[in-house]
Amino acid sequence: MALTTAPGRTGPTRSARSHAPRRGAGRDRHGEGLAGYVFLSPWLIGLMGVTAIPMLLSLYLSFTNYDILTPLSEVEWVGLANYERMFTADPSYWHAVQVTLTFALVAVPVKLAAALGVALLLNRAWRGVGLFRSLFYLPSLLGGSVALAIVWVNMFNRDGAFNSFLALFGIEGLPWVNDPEWALETLMLLAIWQFGAPMVIFLAGLKQVPSELYEAASVDGAGRFSQFWHVTLPMLSPVIFFNLVLETINGFQGFTAAFVLSNGTGGPVDSTLMYTLKLYISGFTDLEMGYASAMAWVFLIAIALITTVFFSTGRFWVHYSDGER
Amino acid sequence: MHPVTSPTAGSPVGPSFRTRAPRRRILRGLVAAVVAAPLMFGAAACGDDGADAGDDKVKLSIFWWGGEGRAKLTEEALALYTKKNPNVTFEKTWQANQGYFDKLATLTAGGNPPDIFQIDDNYLAEYAGRSTVLDLTSYKDSGKLDVSKFPKSLLEYGIVDGKLAGVAAGENTQGLVYNKTLLTKNGLPEPTTGMSWEEHIAWAEQVTKKTKVPGTQDPSADYKALWVWLRQQGKDLYKGKDLGFDEADVTRWFELWKGARDRGATPTPDVIHEGNSSDITKQLVVTGKSATSWVWVNQMPDLKKNTKDELGVVAYPGDPSAQWARASMYWSVFKGSKNRDAAVDVINFLANDPEAVALLGTDRGLPSNMDLRAKVSETATDPAMKQSIAVETELAAKFGPSPQVPIKGHSKVKSELVKAAENAQYGRATPAEAAAQFVAACKSAIA
Repeated sequence: MALTTAPGRTGPTRSARSHAPRRGAGRDRHGEGLAGYVFLSPWLIGLMGVTAIPMLLSLYLSFTNYDILTPLSEVEWVGLANYERMFTADPSYWHAVQVTLTFALVAVPVKLAAALGVALLLNRAWRGVGLFRSLFYLPSLLGGSVALAIVWVNMFNRDGAFNSFLALFGIEGLPWVNDPEWALETLMLLAIWQFGAPMVIFLAGLKQVPSELYEAASVDGAGRFSQFWHVTLPMLSPVIFFNLVLETINGFQGFTAAFVLSNGTGGPVDSTLMYTLKLYISGFTDLEMGYASAMAWVFLIAIALITTVFFSTGRFWVHYSDGER
Repeated sequence: MHPVTSPTAGSPVGPSFRTRAPRRRILRGLVAAVVAAPLMFGAAACGDDGADAGDDKVKLSIFWWGGEGRAKLTEEALALYTKKNPNVTFEKTWQANQGYFDKLATLTAGGNPPDIFQIDDNYLAEYAGRSTVLDLTSYKDSGKLDVSKFPKSLLEYGIVDGKLAGVAAGENTQGLVYNKTLLTKNGLPEPTTGMSWEEHIAWAEQVTKKTKVPGTQDPSADYKALWVWLRQQGKDLYKGKDLGFDEADVTRWFELWKGARDRGATPTPDVIHEGNSSDITKQLVVTGKSATSWVWVNQMPDLKKNTKDELGVVAYPGDPSAQWARASMYWSVFKGSKNRDAAVDVINFLANDPEAVALLGTDRGLPSNMDLRAKVSETATDPAMKQSIAVETELAAKFGPSPQVPIKGHSKVKSELVKAAENAQYGRATPAEAAAQFVAACKSAIA
């Protein structure tokens, strides 16, 4: 990935341009700019209307008692009350934080490890390896789908397929999804099983590791493991970094499966009350949209902080082989 | 089709929630709605010239939850109205019960709420308390809205803070549904109205022993069962703006059911949890995981569709006068509607027009108009419908006075009860701990 020769700095187009008459170019550029904005406008309107303005509005709402039903013109400013309540007076908020952190801390590393492991296996020139790549990628295509979550619920019921399988070995299974001790683990498993997307990215990264490095390493007498440790991992570290950041953010945002599994309640006994689910329940069921907005902003800041930590520690373990860092 | 299922957003039910958009899309939709609100208000302000003027061409938007069967009946009744009042047409929207109140809230936020909407007692106070709902008292007084044939308690169950916020679209009450086939096959007696709670649990224990099917779903997480039980203890769910019970009451309630679980009268906690869903198809009496389920009487026809076994229904245990004529759901009018008078007239028509009531049948519960209720009862042909009519009519004679409509925060109280009760069921908390947790959560929910 990093070793491929950088594209030439001075492409032919650029030099051709510089020969064009100056004034013409200026007018062109002006027209181009306008056209650029015109072509950009659908996206720009979308960004402003659907993302930026509502986001800022939700920041405002997070300081109000907005309850959806009351017109916006009549909402009352409550200062930091929503934030105060979140941090001091709502135990289920902290419970949701804990559930989400547990989920992310387990599911993300295991998922990445699984993705890397399978990518290493599939990085060889076996017969039919393409088929296996597709098969392993398939679950993540189905991604956050509701259908998959329903299948999962049925598989891990007391009388689900998984327990029937266990019964073959004489083991009596648990009602996994309906057991407060195991419901979250079942969700984690679902997330981990969908390791296809990071796997494909790992595969692409592995293909970029120059084979002469392995040759050199084996000439020096490095075994399989030390090749992996001293060549593959460092060369792959930018890809690992990328996947880690992406999957962590994904992990924190998990919603669909928890919603489906618990019928939107976060049950049994709040065991699957992910942050986003708690936010949704506050906003739409309890009609406390101001409070939910405050939660969303804290969430945004928390994710930004975690990502910042990743980036600042990245310099210690991410190696860019072109020597930029 | 789905007579009385309350579409509580907190405990989503039915297949529809499975098609819910991912969170990001929902949030985006929400913020879009929020942003659109001022725009729409603006647009509405400019464009309402034609509404009240001239030849009175009126288009009313109407929104309800339910299944296809209900949609068909309601559409027919509305078509009848248009036939009689050609100047009024309808913009009809309906959806499955899951997500209904999310949508209604979002429509309201978007400044685009329907003129007429269906609502239930879980949310009536929530909406009425925020001036979203038109006070119908003046229409009642002027006779434009005729409720003279309504049972008094049913009418009063639509009054919030002295305002008539909703007109009952039908009447129902709590019902204990049991698997008749299972009991007959095993030579066990059927439960009867008036059995005490202890007797019910002892009976359920016998059923478990004999049939290996747990005798009764543990209803400790079910607000409507707790409610009836509280009323039998001389308490209530709410009293004014406060709770009508205390920690000690809930502790006794949870202990009652802990005893039942210990005696094997109920299923295991995970199965109880399955049955705690308000989804009809997951009720244990139809999934065969328990001999009884705690439902609303007019859910009978729907339950019946989900099982081959014969079902019976009686009142909840204890004194049946703790039960009351509950409005299964109401019709309400949006306060800001441009066509309030027309909207009220439609509601009046749906409640009192003989043809319309005959069309609607008992889909939303027993008709509110007593004269027409008698007529519908005589002409009913569907056996499950006949059964629920018979039981409700029988129970109606024993009904006590209606409680007040649940207050703001009720939907949260409901979900907190599920959480606390399940904590006790899974053995993660003692009844006393769970009760303390529940009461504390309720207090902050209704504050």
